Amino acid sequence: MLSHFNFRVILQYLPLFLKGLWATSWISAISIFFALLLGVLACSMRLSSTGFLKKTAGVYIESMRATPLLAQLYFFYFGLPTLHINLNEIQTGILALSLNSGAYIAEIVRAGIVSIPDGQTEAGTAYGLTYLQRMRYIILPQALGVTIPALLGQFIVLVKDSSLVSLISVLELTRAGQLMASERFMPTEGFFTVAAFYLVIYFVLKYLSTLWQNRLIYREP
Amino acid sequence: MIRFNDVNKWFGANHVLKDINLHIQPGEAVVICGPSGSGKSTLIRCINQLEPIQKGEIFVDNIQVNKRATNLTRLRSQIGFVFQQFNLYPHLSVLENVVLSPIKVKKIARREAEENARELLERVGIPDKADDYPSQLSGGQCQRVAIARGLAMNPKVMLFDEPTSALDPEMIKEVLDVMVELAVEGMTMIVVTHEMGFAREVAHRVFFMDEGQIVESNAPDAFFDHPAHERTKAFLSKIITHN
Repeated sequence: MLSHFNFRVILQYLPLFLKGLWATSWISAISIFFALLLGVLACSMRLSSTGFLKKTAGVYIESMRATPLLAQLYFFYFGLPTLHINLNEIQTGILALSLNSGAYIAEIVRAGIVSIPDGQTEAGTAYGLTYLQRMRYIILPQALGVTIPALLGQFIVLVKDSSLVSLISVLELTRAGQLMASERFMPTEGFFTVAAFYLVIYFVLKYLSTLWQNRLIYREP
Repeated sequence: MIRFNDVNKWFGANHVLKDINLHIQPGEAVVICGPSGSGKSTLIRCINQLEPIQKGEIFVDNIQVNKRATNLTRLRSQIGFVFQQFNLYPHLSVLENVVLSPIKVKKIARREAEENARELLERVGIPDKADDYPSQLSGGQCQRVAIARGLAMNPKVMLFDEPTSALDPEMIKEVLDVMVELAVEGMTMIVVTHEMGFAREVAHRVFFMDEGQIVESNAPDAFFDHPAHERTKAFLSKIITHN
């Protein structure tokens, strides 16, 4: 199959693909950042003993997980302007990706937190640490440590989901492939190249998560 | 130093502490023994409010513990607590385990805290383990780190909740040696344990608890040689014949 590939055209479109790769990378990076913040926040609200916070987080998490990302994306894209909230396409995309992924991350982090034995909380409490200090210094470092593989999975899903923002005409990796496919009628080359670039992002993410894991997780003898 | 006035505690419908009254002097070492489920662990966990009580009053150093206005963080930083399962922080090195609370709660400068921590590790006999992680240590070493972690707060009282129950037999002595030394130096301590040798050697008083009540309390020699209550006699005969 590769022998039928028109590499000359791929090369010709390379600047476009690199532009798309860059856009996908930074849109994903910003979304991951906000999704992590949102996720930890929603998770701590869900674990809190205040009924109102717990319910709010529950509604957010359930509604995000129960509806398709594409529907959410269109909802924000067409819905927000009617509320006179004007975001550009990229901002809308980041908003939808962060909100969607944050809900999944909240559940991943929650699973990590409840897996930490009660004794850890008790030790922190007995030694005078406040709730926030226990979270910051004792619980979260351990919880995030054990959830890194699951978080990595979620980050990869987010990167792939970011291809959906091509549907609100953001020029990112998938959009670059679509352009090449339609302008030159070469869908195989176009989307194969797109896939290859996603693979590159995947390996970078995997490498970063290994570094992170080595910093956080239990140190074995 | 520690005073209980008519303390009662329930877990749901289960009445686990019944009208507990006790008074522990500064510098006193007290051992609490009794069958499992008798409420001894619960009793010491109430002192630093790991467990709330429903009725009565607890005072530590003349500060009422079970009052909303009490600054629990401050109170807890004056009470060292050693758990049966050590509860060291597995993601932190031994040294970090010891300095975390002094730095974050007592706001002591890191250098000073580390210096102090190294001295304490020396005192519990494991100065060379400062940079190891808890998973690299034996149970006895873990428990000695936990004691150092307690002492690092420079507490007025040390509470021990069955500190040797999770240890292999040959490691019990190394932990007890540290505790004996503490008691001899005059640390106020309450120890929930079945180590009767320890009780005889250093305790000023021994309490026997059963079904949520303090059945009997006495100086160790009198307690072991002339127990007054039938329940105490039955308990002692069971644990002593197996020693």
